[in-house]
This record gives sequence, structure tokens and C-alpha cells, in this order.
Amino acid sequence: MIDWQPLILTFELALVTTLLLLVVSIPLSYWLAYTKSKFKPIIETLVSMPLVLPPTVLGFYLLIAFSPSNSFGMWLDENLGLRLIFSFEGLVIASIIYSLPFMVHPIQAGFSSLPSSISEASYVLGKSKFITLIKVLLPNIKKSLLTGIVLAFAHTIGEFGVVLMIGGNIPGKTKVASIAIYDEVEALNYGAANSYSLILFVITFCILLLVYLVNGGYLRRMIQ
Amino acid sequence: MATIKINLQKKLNAASGMLHLDVDMNIEKGQLVTIYGESGAGKTSILRMLAGLMEADSGQILVNEKHWLSSQERICLKPQERRIGFVFQDYALFPNMTVKENLKFALEKGQDKSIVEELIEFMELGDLQNRHPEKLSGGQKQRVALARALVRKPEILLLDEPLSALDAKMRSKLQDYILKVHRKYHLTTLLISHEVGEVIKMADKIFILEDGKISKHGKPIDVFSSKQISGKFQFSGEIVQIEKEEIIFIVTVLIGANFVKIVAEENEISNMKVGDKVIVASKAFNPILRKIN
Amino acid sequence: MNNLRGKIKTIKTHGNISQVKVDLGEVCFCTVIIETPKTASYLKIGNPIQVVFKETEVIIGKGKQEDNSIQNKVEGKIIEMEKGKILSKVIIKTGIGKISSFLTTDSAEILELEIGTQVCAMIQTTEIMLSE
Repeated sequence: MIDWQPLILTFELALVTTLLLLVVSIPLSYWLAYTKSKFKPIIETLVSMPLVLPPTVLGFYLLIAFSPSNSFGMWLDENLGLRLIFSFEGLVIASIIYSLPFMVHPIQAGFSSLPSSISEASYVLGKSKFITLIKVLLPNIKKSLLTGIVLAFAHTIGEFGVVLMIGGNIPGKTKVASIAIYDEVEALNYGAANSYSLILFVITFCILLLVYLVNGGYLRRMIQ
Repeated sequence: MATIKINLQKKLNAASGMLHLDVDMNIEKGQLVTIYGESGAGKTSILRMLAGLMEADSGQILVNEKHWLSSQERICLKPQERRIGFVFQDYALFPNMTVKENLKFALEKGQDKSIVEELIEFMELGDLQNRHPEKLSGGQKQRVALARALVRKPEILLLDEPLSALDAKMRSKLQDYILKVHRKYHLTTLLISHEVGEVIKMADKIFILEDGKISKHGKPIDVFSSKQISGKFQFSGEIVQIEKEEIIFIVTVLIGANFVKIVAEENEISNMKVGDKVIVASKAFNPILRKIN
Repeated sequence: MNNLRGKIKTIKTHGNISQVKVDLGEVCFCTVIIETPKTASYLKIGNPIQVVFKETEVIIGKGKQEDNSIQNKVEGKIIEMEKGKILSKVIIKTGIGKISSFLTTDSAEILELEIGTQVCAMIQTTEIMLSE
């Protein structure tokens, strides 16, 4: 029998990360889609960095930053009582940064694909930018939101390098499925590694399949 | 109803290069005014600046003696504060809402909801009210967009070439709707158009925009026909065919959705060709009327 | 289209209809229009004006033309003629300018019209338009 805890932890991490990412990404994507600021390219580049950097680079810098022996880590520890290394909270923050482009890109593309006249029509009807975002823009980019949510979720499930660097391998706290697989292989425990791998494979396959079915309109057509 | 005074300057990046928009317009209460001109002359920009969707480099907009824009006094009202109805060229209906929801969205807090029903009935949208915009034809979308723009009971209605994408028959029908709401709701209406017939049919006043400047303004019939003619049976249209028959010419002119044929003499049409806009005039004494059963 | 230049001599208005006499030099032409000096800025006595009427509205007669209801008459000589199978065109030189007329070729033959023939051109008052 395998230990279920790494799997449960993985999905817990993915769920929390995705929810927080959604909260962060909607305003960020909105800003990126509509801003004329000259800082836009810089922010866009930063958001996209995790796509190209090896996860270990990100993990390394986060490790340094969060370490209580450095000023930022010390400040966090003393003022907020937060220790981000080798903790679940640290994993969440690292995952948010690491999965940011997977959430931001689809939502930003969704906003950009809407004709500007739609939001302008709402403004001349006297509606504020916030009301326009909630009632007009977001409902019309549901597909992009779903894509972002699922990609971020699936990507968080699959991450390894960042987690290993800053989370370590503490059972029940930071030992997620991808690391458990690595552990089992190292211990030549191929059966358990296979179980974890298969479960991850099937679940992520199902999630992605669901997105493509929904966004491609296959589901609606099947129901009809 | 509202009187509008506009004085605007704006540099625009047009397809043909830099365009200096510099216009001065006075619009009286209750008028239906058209801005006429080639595409790229800056027509839409004027409407967008009036709506607050585009910033002017300098100038002022005075509506009922109140400043909507004054670059001197650093006043620029947001689109939300301007109380206008705006109909966009691409209709800009909200795809996630049904026809009725589109109209209801426009309601202000605490506004009497009966206006939605009134407009649905007036614009004959009853059968369409539960449909989503994707299931509507171009003309239907236009009617919804027009109704939605009127929900807040604006005093000013801005129409950005709303009929250009429609066929001649549908266009003529929508022109009638626009005239109907213009009168019923006592609006001051600005319409962008590049159709001579449309302008003559609808407008009290026309501003011709050329390269960002108003080149002519006045009553459409005066502006388009350089001289007045007393014939009361007057239409504007476009020459679609010129045929020689024996010693005369028969000219076919498209007026609205109808073709008419006019006999002409050689000298009369020597400077005309197919595609020219013309005024067809006759005395009111000649035509006969017959009731259609 | 026939275009003759003249000056407005008298204007008689009743309701929305005006009767306007235009001095063309040798003769005066009279027209009835649905305009009044209030609705048409060009309706002022003494104003230069163009009298406009279609070739098809010009009636041609030979000899004395007295016993008919047509008010606008001018005499002249045919200087040009073009005959088609059904329609013919004649240009008449008159004291107030050239006037062209379309008539059926049959009529032209019955009247024995040819270049040099003395004729009278007549236009009904309701067929004349005014233009600035």
C-alpha cells in the first residue's frame, strides 16, 4: 500500500495555489491587457520568466530570500512570524510565482480578444470599470479563465525543482507526489513510484481532457 | 434636449499619415446632425471625444452651457458622467447577456424598469428579447444597440456609422427607427454617415469633414446641390446605368432601394458617369398617386 | 434640360403656392411653384434666376398660337433637327435663347418641321422649375 499523504498534499497545494493565483492574476492580466504604461514589457517579461528559467534558479533565489539568516527572511520571521523555507506556505508562494504565466497568459489573451467597444459601451452606459470587469468582461472570457485555472492547477501538480529547493522533503509538510516518486526511485522501490506516477498521469490527463472538451464545445454538443 | 458646442483639436495617426483634426461645430437642441466624409477623415474620433472615449489634445465641449471638456480649465468628464447614448459601428452588444439583459444592464440604480419594456415594444424586439446577440441578424443587433443606448434616457444620441454594414432595404428601415426615436425621445442626435441619400433623408444639418477640417456645413440639400432648385419631387441617388436610346439618353438611378429611370438630353449628362451622386428633381405637379391595396 | 436666365419680376403668393413671373428679355415666363419667399431664399423680386424645364415639356406649334391655355410662348426658328424612329429632337433659336424640344417623329412629320421652319415653343406654367 502506498502512502497517500504526498498525493493529498499535492492536490492541496495545487488547489490553494490556483485559488490565490486567480485572485492575483485577474487584476494583473487586466492591467497587462489594457495598460499603455511603458513598464508593461518589463512586467510581461517578469511574468514569463518561469517559462524559460530552470525551476532550480527560481528555487535557489527564493531559498536565499526566504532564509531567516537574510534580512528579508528575518523581517518576515520577526514581524509576521512566517518561516517560508521548508514550510507549506513557502511552497504556496513559490508555486504561485512559478505557475504565474500559466494563469496570466490565457486570461490576458482573453481580455485582449474582446473588442474594446464592449467595455466602452459599458462605460457610456454609466458603469464603472469594476462593474464592467465583473459583469461584462469576465463572463465573456470564461473559456480563458477555465484554461488558466486548469493549466495552473496541472502545472502545480507537476512541479519538482522549485519544491525540492525550498520545500525540502518533509513528509506531511512539503513532500509532494513528484518528490515522493523521486524518493521511491532512489530507494529502488519501483512499484510505489509506478503507483504515484500512474495516479498523477491519469488525473492530469482527465483534467486536461475536460478543458479541451469544454472549451471545444464538445460537451455542449454531446448534451444536445 | 441639448445644445452642443464643440471645438476640438487632436493629432491622429491615420492610415494616410498624420491627421490634424481641428473642428468647430454648433449643434442646436433637437437637431439631427450628420458628420459626413471619407473614411479616415476623423469622423469617428469626433464622436469618441464627445463621448469621452478619446482624449483631445485641446479644445472644449460645452453641453447646455456646461463644460464636458475644457483643456483650459482642466475639465474632462468621464464617459460615465456624460449621459449619452452611443451606438457603435460593431453594435458592441454584450455576448453573455440576452437582448433583454443587455437593456436591463443599462438601467441606472433605482431607475424605473418600465423603460425596458417600453423600448422592447417600441423597437419591436418582443420576439427577440430572450435571444443572445450571436443569434441575431445585423439589423436586429442594430435595433438592440439603439434600444440599449436609450435606456438611460440620454439627451444626446451618438451613432457611429450604424447602418454601413446593412443592405439597402434594412438600412432604410433602420433609418426610420432612428428618426422615430429621435422625435419620440426629443433627442439631439449626431449621426456619422457617408451615404448622401441617408444624410438628405435624415439630417437637419450636415457637417462635411475633409482631412480633419469642416469644409462645409448647412442644410443637406443646400450643401449637396450647390444651388437650390424649386422642384418638390426631389431625391438623391446614384447613377447605375446610362443608355442611349435613339436621340435621348435613359439614366437609371438608384434611390434608396428603388431604381428609377429618367430621360435626359446629351448636354445634360455630358459631365455625368455611372457611380455619380445626383439629385433627381421634378415638379410636384407631375407625379400621380395611386393607393396600394 | 432647358436653362434660361432671367430676373424675377413679380411674385404672387397664396398659402404655400407662389406664382412667379420671370423676365427673360423679349418675353416673360410664368411658373407656379410650391415655395414661398419664406421657404426659398431666392424668391426675391429682381433676383437673377434660371428657368428650368425638360425638353419633353416643350410643345411646338406652327402659325398663330392664341386659343389655348398655355401662358408661356416664344417664337423662333428651327436651327437643328435630329430624327429618330420614334422620337425627334429640335433646337429652336428664340429671342430669349435656344430651346430644345423632344417630340414624336410622327408629329414632326405631320407639322412638316425642318431646319428654318418658323415655330412657336410653348411650356405649361406647372412644368417650369426655378433654380438659382
